[in-house]
Amino acid sequence: MSPTHSGSLEEFIPASQTELSRFMTENATTDQKQIFPVGGRTSLSVCCPSSQSGTQICTSQLNRVIDYPIRDMTITVEAGMRLDQLNEIISAEGQRLPIDVSQSNRATLGGVIATNTCGPRRFSYGTIRDYVIGISAIDGRGNLFKSGGRVVKNVAGYDLGKMLVGSLGTLAVISQVSLNLRPKPETMCMVWFAFDSYQNVDRALEALITSGTRPTAVEYCNSKAARQIVAESRFELPADHHAICVCYEGPENQVNWQANQIKEEWKEFSPLSSQIVQADHATRLYNAFTEYQTSSDDPVTLKAVVLPSQMMKFVEAATQLNIAVKAHAADGIVFGHLPDSASSLEDVKQILSQLKNKLDPKTGYLTIYQCESEWAELLPLFCSPPPGWDLMKQLKNALDPDQLLNSQRFADLVET
Amino acid sequence: MVEPTNQTMPQETHLLEELEAGSPSFSALVQQLTQIVGKTGILYDADELLVYECDGYIVDKTAPDIVVFPTSTAQISAIVELCNQFNVPFLARGAGTSLSGGCLPIGGGVMIVLTKMKKILEINLRDRYAIVEPGMVNLHLTNALKGTGYHYAPDPSSQGSCTIGGNIATNSGGPHTLKYGVTTNHVLGLEAVLPDGSIIELGGPTAEVPGYDMHGLYVGNEGTFGICTKAIVRLTRDPESHRTMLAIFQTIADATRAISAIIAAGIIPSALEMMDQGIIQAVEEAFHFGFPLDAGAVLLIEVDGLEIALDEEVRQILEICDSCNVREIQRADTPEERLLVWKSRKQAFGAIGRLSPSYCTQDGVVPRTRLPEILEFIEETSKKYGLRIVNVFHAGDGNVHPILLFDERDQAQIQKVLDASEEILEKCLELGGSVTGEHGIGVEKINFMSRIFNKTDLATMETVRNIFNPRQICSRDKVLPPHQTDEKPGISQSHPARRAPH
Repeated sequence: MSPTHSGSLEEFIPASQTELSRFMTENATTDQKQIFPVGGRTSLSVCCPSSQSGTQICTSQLNRVIDYPIRDMTITVEAGMRLDQLNEIISAEGQRLPIDVSQSNRATLGGVIATNTCGPRRFSYGTIRDYVIGISAIDGRGNLFKSGGRVVKNVAGYDLGKMLVGSLGTLAVISQVSLNLRPKPETMCMVWFAFDSYQNVDRALEALITSGTRPTAVEYCNSKAARQIVAESRFELPADHHAICVCYEGPENQVNWQANQIKEEWKEFSPLSSQIVQADHATRLYNAFTEYQTSSDDPVTLKAVVLPSQMMKFVEAATQLNIAVKAHAADGIVFGHLPDSASSLEDVKQILSQLKNKLDPKTGYLTIYQCESEWAELLPLFCSPPPGWDLMKQLKNALDPDQLLNSQRFADLVET
Repeated sequence: MVEPTNQTMPQETHLLEELEAGSPSFSALVQQLTQIVGKTGILYDADELLVYECDGYIVDKTAPDIVVFPTSTAQISAIVELCNQFNVPFLARGAGTSLSGGCLPIGGGVMIVLTKMKKILEINLRDRYAIVEPGMVNLHLTNALKGTGYHYAPDPSSQGSCTIGGNIATNSGGPHTLKYGVTTNHVLGLEAVLPDGSIIELGGPTAEVPGYDMHGLYVGNEGTFGICTKAIVRLTRDPESHRTMLAIFQTIADATRAISAIIAAGIIPSALEMMDQGIIQAVEEAFHFGFPLDAGAVLLIEVDGLEIALDEEVRQILEICDSCNVREIQRADTPEERLLVWKSRKQAFGAIGRLSPSYCTQDGVVPRTRLPEILEFIEETSKKYGLRIVNVFHAGDGNVHPILLFDERDQAQIQKVLDASEEILEKCLELGGSVTGEHGIGVEKINFMSRIFNKTDLATMETVRNIFNPRQICSRDKVLPPHQTDEKPGISQSHPARRAPH
């Protein structure tokens, strides 16, 4: 396959993993161009700023099923497979990968791993790291390596799949993935609560620790985000205040019992209203929550990770800055769309700095989640170095010694 | 595919010093270590070192030259710096329950035993985590959480003695992994002393941290990435209720059909364990549960969750078992009955002592649906070698633990056990599985690594290992096979293991 030109970036669409490995080996020994792995292009603006030159490796043709032993509930596929395609295949067998991915009609499995994408269900089902049982990838010099295998339990060798989670295409191009699957639940329902104060929201969330119910997801949104989510779900719900939406999955009797139980349990926190959302309405509402983090036209979306007990303090600060906030509330993961008023890079930096001050430096992280491309290269994605940053840099140098894999992005990842 | 170019130079492990008791450098090292840990925190008399010459894998034995018992991260860091200064190898040891020789001090050196570091540093229910020291016994954490509604989910069968630090090193499993996952799914972060003595933190108490998943990479390193000195683990909500039952089948084939059918029905039991006829007989003799001695297989099935859902799940399971020719189902619905059933499972290995003077436990994995094939193969292997092999294992995960019975006084039998083990593990690979589901590579299975992984895979793993442990001064010659150019052979297997509390 010959490279085709697209702007200042060339594009290479490998037809097989070995072809990709050959291409990258040749690149490392000859041109040494920058390589940008590209899946569904849903996170490209932040992961790979457009002014870069080099070769985009487009994984769209690496989308085959390698092995699907249905009754073992594992599947091995090439990493360019789109999530909708994967879901269609496994859904037909009553199975699923319980990772919520926005823009799943475009997003690819390799991209989900490289960006560590997750959604509301992470509270009960974990994240992609918990489902990858085997991985193949190609490092900066074209070496195609693998770790793990195709069985659900396996401790032979180091778990290289974990290091590729969140790697943003800077360590290796993920080419093939084996996944552990789960059965699809019978049904799902959500309970939408409106609250009038941060304090009541926090008390209700705290009470979940000992709730008689076992939620699969607990989503929070402030009124600004609530209005957008409600509009998107096309279902009438109160959106003038704080909202918490608790999700249950399982057999119908169990789901219904829990929905009524949580309404009962949370009465003492004086919700303004509570409403059970079922069937198609629940699916649409759920999808609106999943899509929300990438749905904005606003220039910058941030993501903060805090301890759940510290979350509402952060949410309050963000809300005061007119940010639309949605959070995986029981996990302490907050997404915020910055307001239109943040129209210059300076404004954005100002907001980030104010928010960063609200975080405990030992247990709080602020990152840029989505961003206009021209700002992306001027903003470090991580507002502070994460734990293990020195080792991450060593890992990058070891797997990509010529600095060919999305290396500028890596170099600019952390504010110095 | 080109030859890997990121392969590093062979490590110069031969440059590490071999300590000689009584030599000036030995005396100097002992003196300086004593300054760090005090006189009561160090052993170096040959008699006292014997305890530390092996772990649960008793095939190979090598005593360390010195054993130290630090009580803090700072002490461990100082000890490691000294080892670097004296150029002697070192490794960490928890309770020494490894079944693959993970705690074998190859080349002697300093063994850093973590059993004095067993405190719980923090329990935070609101944020669902606990911070513990590495020498904390697994079960003690769950015991400390009793009454809170939370527990620490990974529960290896040795949980009454194994430590959390050791669990992190081997990425331990246990009977409840089918629903709850293994150790790596429950570790949020950790502190470690790297092989150069520096102290690092990876991950943290938050649900995630930005960047590469470094703590995920660290878990399962089998002691080769330094010494974990603090663990931040996720706490799991207790299920409201359990239903535990024993399903007795005439044949292994019927039992394995039931396993696949239960999971295909969308039920993920919290445990799905199988015992075959050989082990049933031993357990029955030891504990008198009333198992029929002529049964082909017994399945221990446990479901947990909300009380409201369980009876329906049990009804479905009973129906499936019926359709798979179940002979009898015994329910264990009271907490006392449940405890007794689990005692039969977790102490099954203790009962084996009644069958044979020695035994060797293997740890292989196959895709769940291939269980009948591997069990049939194990039976054939048993006949071929004239060795008795019994099975008690995590059937839901396809993780088999064939136990080969023998008499270690008979050299011919020992060779048969080694050959039979090799054939069984080779068959696991042929069926698409792995040679270890939870015990680790250690030194025991190091020769299998080059059959599972190609040169590039191993070179990449070595590149990663070298970031943490470039000189292999820490837990040397584990996990990755020695380079073919390396003249020094790895540990070669001479006797099979006979004891295995898993």
